[in-house]
This record gives sequence, structure tokens and C-alpha cells, in this order.
Amino acid sequence: MEFLRSIGITEIVMQFMLINAILGLSMYLVLYTGMFSLANAGFMSIGAYTGVILTQNFNQPLWVGLIGGMVVAGVLAVPIGLPVLRLKDIYLAIATIGFGEVVRILILNFDTLAGSITGESVRLTRGALGITGIPKITETWHLLAFLVVTGFIMIRLHRSRFGRAMAAVRQDEPAAANMGINVVYTKNMVFIMSAVLAAAAGVLKAHLTRTISPGDYGFDQAVSILAFAVLGGTSTWVGPLVGGFVLTALPEILRDFKQYRGIVNGSILLLVIVYLPGGMVNPAGWSQMWARLRGKKQGDTLTTEVS
Amino acid sequence: MKKLLSILMVFALLLPVTATFGQDDTMEQPLVGFWEQCPTPENLPETVNVGAIFGLSEAVAVYGTAQQNAVQLAVDEINASHYLGENSALVVMFEDSAGNRDQAIAAMTKLVEEDGVVAVLGPTLSSEAFAADPVAQENSTVVMGVSNTANGITEMGDYVFRDSLPEGAVIPGTIAQAAEILGLAKVGLFYGNDDDFTVSGYEVFKAALEENGIEILSEETFAKGDVDFNAQLTNLIAAEPDALVVSALAAEATQIILQARALGYEGPIIGGNGFNSPAVLRDTGADSEGLIVGGAWNYGNPNPTESSVQFVEMYEAAYEMSPDQFAAQAYTGAWLMATAIRCADSTDRTAVRDSLAGIADFDSPLGVFSFDEDRNPVHDPIAQIVVDGKFQPLALVMGE
Repeated sequence: MEFLRSIGITEIVMQFMLINAILGLSMYLVLYTGMFSLANAGFMSIGAYTGVILTQNFNQPLWVGLIGGMVVAGVLAVPIGLPVLRLKDIYLAIATIGFGEVVRILILNFDTLAGSITGESVRLTRGALGITGIPKITETWHLLAFLVVTGFIMIRLHRSRFGRAMAAVRQDEPAAANMGINVVYTKNMVFIMSAVLAAAAGVLKAHLTRTISPGDYGFDQAVSILAFAVLGGTSTWVGPLVGGFVLTALPEILRDFKQYRGIVNGSILLLVIVYLPGGMVNPAGWSQMWARLRGKKQGDTLTTEVS
Repeated sequence: MKKLLSILMVFALLLPVTATFGQDDTMEQPLVGFWEQCPTPENLPETVNVGAIFGLSEAVAVYGTAQQNAVQLAVDEINASHYLGENSALVVMFEDSAGNRDQAIAAMTKLVEEDGVVAVLGPTLSSEAFAADPVAQENSTVVMGVSNTANGITEMGDYVFRDSLPEGAVIPGTIAQAAEILGLAKVGLFYGNDDDFTVSGYEVFKAALEENGIEILSEETFAKGDVDFNAQLTNLIAAEPDALVVSALAAEATQIILQARALGYEGPIIGGNGFNSPAVLRDTGADSEGLIVGGAWNYGNPNPTESSVQFVEMYEAAYEMSPDQFAAQAYTGAWLMATAIRCADSTDRTAVRDSLAGIADFDSPLGVFSFDEDRNPVHDPIAQIVVDGKFQPLALVMGE
């Protein structure tokens, strides 16, 4: 602990690392099923706002807010997922970016909208100013416990029939369908699970940063979440975890570089992308780099993991 | 491996290139400071550490870099003139928040809990302040915003200060003066509805307009990053307002002025803090004629205090560019903090807080400066109008 503090990882940074690991896992689920979805930031904001409104306006404890946020995001994921998941690759990405923007603008104008419908002045999401003065009630052990449970579910998932179906859908959809896998069900189920995880991260984070506003969950956040998963590597569920940890901790560790921080941070990430194309946690990528460093000729057996 | 090593070497070589500024040890006593009011402190340690959290990277660096420059300028001046005593030096630890809440919280935690600073300046954005200031409050450490203008900043606790006039202190005066001098009766209101800064500006404008009995003919909104405002401006202008009242940030403000003029609108445009920037004047050229802006400080202020003139001279000599309002407020902030430490003659955080809260009638580039009981700044804002491409006091120009 002393060592971590000395390199700039204070408790709050560790808490952000844990939250971003959860976000990385939510991204991992959709990527593992072959869906390039950028909807997680949108679900994160749905979770955060639902959770905060429950704890602040209805005086509920954190766990009620947490479950409430997860349930609302999970339920909303169904009508979003059913039409949108018919799209693939970049088209899915564009549609889900659109979803994120719709959520952001809806929350931005929620009070005005609700006010014009009910005829009364509504003060719930508070527009662009956001909600401030949220108490900091998320503890490190909440996050650790949540992550451990999520990790356990991930391990169980990989060994289950459903987990195998996810991998099959990623590798070849028609083939998976021919083998009797319900592709639509699998994709939507994963989309819901991913939304629920993102929402949980949103609720927990809102009660850590004390303030939320719609702008926090825009395109930037969506891309950050994608980066946690891609940089960490999507060949195992540990990858996004490590990706979330490293991407959060790195800028803090590099604080001593002062104005060169951005350059050093970017360079390290670039080196990872160039030398470890499959992500940081990717055994195949590591052995390939090891071979390259030792100057050996690469054999055909060394292939990078493609997700 | 060699490749990797060579890349690392390049960074190792880059590191020592840190900016240093020439210091003149035989400097005259600066115009700013409580030289007489408080005796030279004797109990201060060799180095007095103060933190500063500014957005030094990403888009917010436009403001953060100016703030860092200004604070460094003040610190050099304070140390060269031995303001904190012969053997004590003020050291400011700058931390970058990149305009990001998480980083602002992390930086505040590091400064307050790990580095044990006496007090903290910043963070740059109000949204960062709402997230990071409670950390300082919980640790009974003074945090002073030098650019936070949103309502409710100092309500976070008795250790939270700011030296930047909130919108609520600048806009009502500007509107009242404009209403009286120009005889405004009906206006069009235009604002960005997805940004906390422009929305809080809008709310204050609206309240001020109602207070002065000015009718709002129509309201239109835009979003951050918009470049085409013709549709909204056409609607606003069609209602034939006496003036356009706009709450926008500098980037949108420039386009709004240009497009309103292109649509044939010739009346006054009244703007908030976002318009108070040398860049807006430069980029709009002749179209800025008749622009009315309220602000805390301005480079073109024709009635500056002596310390303001000196600050501009020194800033231009050190950085080869003109300071803006953010620089002036950051410079004043650093001096206020140093003064609080000098007068407390202690680095005890609570003693510094009490000393800071007691500062009144402090001569600064912003004018004669005091804190009110809510730790908000009290000094005269300036209502100004652009004439011949320069800011002039509204009362002076229109009174003729």
C-alpha cells in the first residue's frame, strides 16, 4: 500500500481503477460476442442518474440505488438491443453512438420536457448543470466485492453453455445458428448483461465523484470504455480488467513528468498497441514479442488473437 | 530491445527541458501585497508548499496554461521580494487535471493528503471544483478557485474560497447599466443549453432582465460545438429586439457575433464572461462594434489600477503575449494566498484559512479586493462596450 501511494496511486485512484475495470468488463462481454457496440457510456449514464435520483430524491441506501440503476438499464437495453443488434460491425457502432447521444440529450432536456408534459416545474436531472452535492458513500470494499462477484460470474460464464454460444456467435453467426444456438437471444442477453454492468459502474462512480452531468457520458467516455477492453486484450476476461487498471493508473503515475505527461502516456500506449496487438493480456502476443526480441524468425504457428 | 532503449533515451533527454524564467533579485517592492498591514513573517519554514490544479492539457489548456503562467509570475515576484520572509520561499506544485473530474479529484487528494500542501489554487473548471473541492474541505485545507464562476461553489464548505467573480456578480450590473444608458425595453435571449457555464450565465441573465423590467421577446438555444447559428439568430432578430443577450463560450461567441452582423443586425450584443476575451475581439474585427461585455478584469480596461498596469507589463515581458481575465485572477489568487500565509505567519491550514477570510481592501490588478462572509470576492466588475475595436467603459462612452 505504501509503495502504491508513493507512485501516485492513492485510494481514490484505486477506486477509479476498479470502476474502470468494471466498465472494461462490460465492454468485454459485447466484444467477446462479436458485437462492436459503443452503447456502454449511455447505459452508464442511465445507471448513474437512476441511482443518484433514488439515493438523493427518494433517500434510499446505496444498494437500492445500485440495483435500481442496474434494473432500469437492463430493462431499457431490451427495446434498444432488439432492433439495433441486427446491425453489424461499424454500422452497429454508429447506431450505438447515436443511442449514447440520444440518452445524453434526453437527460439534458429531461426537466424541460417533463415540465412541459406535467405542467409543473420539474427538477430531477437539472440539465447541463448536472447534479452536485452527492454524498461520497461508495467504499473500496463495495467495488472490490462487486468486481469479485463479476469475475466469478465471468469464469462460470466461460464454462457454461451460454458462454460457448457467445464465442460461437462471434466466430460465425450462420454456423452457430445452424448448430441450434439462438443467435438473437444470445446477442440480446449479452447486450443486457453489458448494460447492467455499465449501469452499476455508473451508480458506484456517481457516489464517488459527488457530481454528475450529461456531458460526462458522451462519445469520449464511450471510446475510453472501448480502450479499456481493447488495450487490455479481449482474449480473456482478465484483459479488460488490466486495461482498466493500467489506463486509469498510468496518467497518475506519470504526474512527475509534468507537461510531458501526455506525450509519455501516449507513447507507452502506442508501444503497447504496436508490440502487443492483441492487448496487454494476450499470451500469444507476448510469446510473439518474446520471439521478436530474441531475434528468432517467426513461425507460422504464432498467430495473434483476433477478437 | 535497442529500439525500446533508444526511445526511452529520447524521453530522458527531453525531461530536463523545463521552463525557467529569469529572476531579478534586486527587484523593487511589488505594488501588490500587504507590506505594511502585516509584519514580515518569522516562523515560516524554508519552503511553503501550495498546490495548484489547472487544466494544462486537452481543450481546457487554453485557460489552464494562462493560469499557470500567471501563478508562476506571482510566485517569482513573491520570492524575489522575500514577501514570506528572508529565509522562506513559496513553492507551487502544479498538477494537471485535463479538465477531467476524476483527475481533478486524484490531483486534489494527492496534494492535500500525500504532499501535505498548505492550500490549493484551482481547479480550473467549476465542474471540477464541485468534484474535487469537498476533498480539501474534508481535510480542512483551503482551496481557492481562481476561475470558478458557477453558483454554489463556496457553499461546499468554509474552506472553499474563490477570487473569480461569479456570474451573479457581473451580469446584473452590466444589465442594469445597459438598461439605464441604452434604454433597453425588449431583448432576445440566446444561450447554449448543454454547458454548465452557459446555462448558469443564462439563468443570471434572465433574472437580471426580469429585475430591470426588460421584456424577453424570445429565447433560442444552441449546443456546444455548433457552428451555424443562422436559424436561431433569424428568429431572434425578426422580433426586433433592442439588444441581443447571449450566454456563450468564446468559440461560439465569435461565430454568433459574425453571423448576427451578417444577417444585418446592427444593435448592441450583450455577452457574459465568455465574451471577455482578447481572442473574441481579434476574430470578429469590425463586427464586434457595439458589443457590451461585463467582466472581472480586462486587458483593455482604460482605468486600470497601478498594479494592473505592472502586471500586464511583467506578463508580456515574461511570456510575450497579453494576459486575459483568467491570468489576472490567477495572479491575484497567488498573491492572496501568499498574503494569507504572511499574515498568519504560520503554515497551519486553519490559521491560513482564518487569515485568508480576513483579507479586505487588498490592492490587486482586479481592483480593491475583499472577501465577503461567504468567501466570494468583492470588487467592482466592469461593464464595457467595444468602440473602434477596443473595450471602453460603457458609462463613459454612452454618457457623452
